[in-house]
Amino acid sequence: MGLVTRKKVFSIMALCAMVGLLLFPVVVSLPSLAIGADAPDAAKKEDAKVEKGRDVYYKTEGIVVGAPAPKTVDGPKDYPRYNFESRVLLWFANQQHLYYGSFVLAVPIFCMVVEFMGVVTKDKALAKRYDQLAYDFIKISLTAYSLTAVLGGILIFTFLTLYPAFFGYLSSIFRPVMHIYALMFVAESGTLYIYYYGWDKMKEGFLKWIHLSMSVILNIIGTLLMFLANSWIGFMMSPAGVDEQGRFLGNIWHVLHTALWNPLNLHRILGNMAFGGGVVAAYAAYKFLASKTDEDRAHYDWMGYIAMALGVAFLIPLPFAGYWLMREVYAYRQQMGITLMGGLLAWLFIIQATMIGILFLSTNYYLWQAMGRMRGAEKYQRYIKYLVFILACGYLVFITPHTMVMTPAELKAMGGQQHPVLGNYGVMSAKNGGINVIITTTVLSFVWYMRGNKVSTVSWSKFGNIFMGCFFFFAYVNIIGLAIYGYYIPANVRVGLSVPQVATTLSCLFFMFALNSVMMKGAKQMGPIEWGKISARSQYALIMLATAFTWMMGLMGYIRSSVRLFWHVNEIMRDNSPWAYTHTVGFAANMISFNVLFFWISILFVFWLGSLAAKKVPAGEKAGVPGSAPQPAGSH
Amino acid sequence: MGQNILYGIISVAICVGYFLMVDHFLMDMQGLDFWYMFRK
Repeated sequence: MGLVTRKKVFSIMALCAMVGLLLFPVVVSLPSLAIGADAPDAAKKEDAKVEKGRDVYYKTEGIVVGAPAPKTVDGPKDYPRYNFESRVLLWFANQQHLYYGSFVLAVPIFCMVVEFMGVVTKDKALAKRYDQLAYDFIKISLTAYSLTAVLGGILIFTFLTLYPAFFGYLSSIFRPVMHIYALMFVAESGTLYIYYYGWDKMKEGFLKWIHLSMSVILNIIGTLLMFLANSWIGFMMSPAGVDEQGRFLGNIWHVLHTALWNPLNLHRILGNMAFGGGVVAAYAAYKFLASKTDEDRAHYDWMGYIAMALGVAFLIPLPFAGYWLMREVYAYRQQMGITLMGGLLAWLFIIQATMIGILFLSTNYYLWQAMGRMRGAEKYQRYIKYLVFILACGYLVFITPHTMVMTPAELKAMGGQQHPVLGNYGVMSAKNGGINVIITTTVLSFVWYMRGNKVSTVSWSKFGNIFMGCFFFFAYVNIIGLAIYGYYIPANVRVGLSVPQVATTLSCLFFMFALNSVMMKGAKQMGPIEWGKISARSQYALIMLATAFTWMMGLMGYIRSSVRLFWHVNEIMRDNSPWAYTHTVGFAANMISFNVLFFWISILFVFWLGSLAAKKVPAGEKAGVPGSAPQPAGSH
Repeated sequence: MGQNILYGIISVAICVGYFLMVDHFLMDMQGLDFWYMFRK
């Protein structure tokens, strides 16, 4: 057997092993998926004693096969503790695990996308650069992966030590799928290592496609892992599959498929991708700033741009996924929605709005700076001030609170809690308008960036440009018009206006990107993109972007968790620990900042470890590292 | 110049028509009336 054939056979075997790893946990658990692990025993005892319960969410009847949720009491049995607030310890362990978990789930998806771009691109030099970039991505994630596993272990020990009764109950409910989670984790690790170490062996032709298929399997496993983890938080917020005492009714699918599971899945997958992009972009920015040669600067500038573009591609639909999640929260329990957005936690949403605005402002600022490395993009510079104005208006409306915290004297001077003018901007109608204006402007910045150094040569380019201008103009008119219209119609009609607003923004995103791509096909290039010739300020914008992502993830996780108030499992299992209260906004913000700081210090350590491995690469092999400046245009 | 005006008119007609359709049909799909204020 020839060397190439042997390699092919081994590659196919490795791929089959991965598929086997993916399917194995599902196959071994099929009986439990159908009726739950305890159901056969329960069926046998049916004649002896059958107790039926009614599902709290699905309202179906089922045979009780689990114990009721424990009624905990504050004491060492249910809530053993150190001389510290247990909830804060758990918060820290959970948040760090989530940060790393998100990162290692997102980066392989990037890796898959970039590797695919490398495989399909016809330009050999560019294909090699994409391949090297994908390899750099997975290298970063590999070191972080070990730390994620360690943090997962710490999290489980924290649960077992500090909240044994709650963890015991949750484990009993999810017992039919617990082993799937564990096996999936093993499958993820195995697949990741085969994928990483097989990189050099499967560089070309058919073997490369096998390697790419492995990344698909890797990401399917990672996504399933995340979905399973999401089902726990979905159950805690909106339990299903149990009766009102919290007794498992034998249908594990009901337990997994709670009211909030799918919105959470979508929101988390988009959030993870945006976060992963931000972290890799920050890594590239740091390396750019520390680079000593033009070649390195060119490489890291390019890497930062690709990571930012991928991250922002997922950031743009993220507010809409968040909107769906909130809508489902309201549909599940209206009071929960009010607590989130109009009550106890409403101020945290103002902070969230501020962070979202910062994300988009940073992205736009980076894109404007990035136009500086293109010859021909100067024509757009004079219009940027108008974009700044539009963004600033959208941002100010978006962050304006409904009511202000005031002293009695201030209250009297203003004539009420609502400011006579600014108070009008504190309602959803205005905020939907604000965020859609911000996102549409970001799309416009992207379109300008994509055509920065190009001049369209299609015969209908004049019509295309006029149409594009009109489309954006009327999109703004429609978004702002709908926001104003919302003030004149009843709330039950007004709530529906957000859908056409979102559709308008998405129309700009999809249609204008498509139109621009068609117009720029075969376009005349004014000059190459001079990678590496970008201001240092732009790199700080990338670091800002990543930090804002991290902070916002911490904030949103806290908000989502806090909305359960004094429940471990909403309306099923009460939290009777001394910490079953909602922290002040200040304390929460400090805690989030601490988590962010800890994550960034620890990830810097991970990056440093990664750089140690890079230093061992012999000098001759470095020739394969892409990024010598300037690079041909069209690579964006 | 005349050609630009023609392109502008066509673009405006398409864009206004498109966004009105988006508003009308997406509200209709939710069982809501986009023209509520004008019908009242």
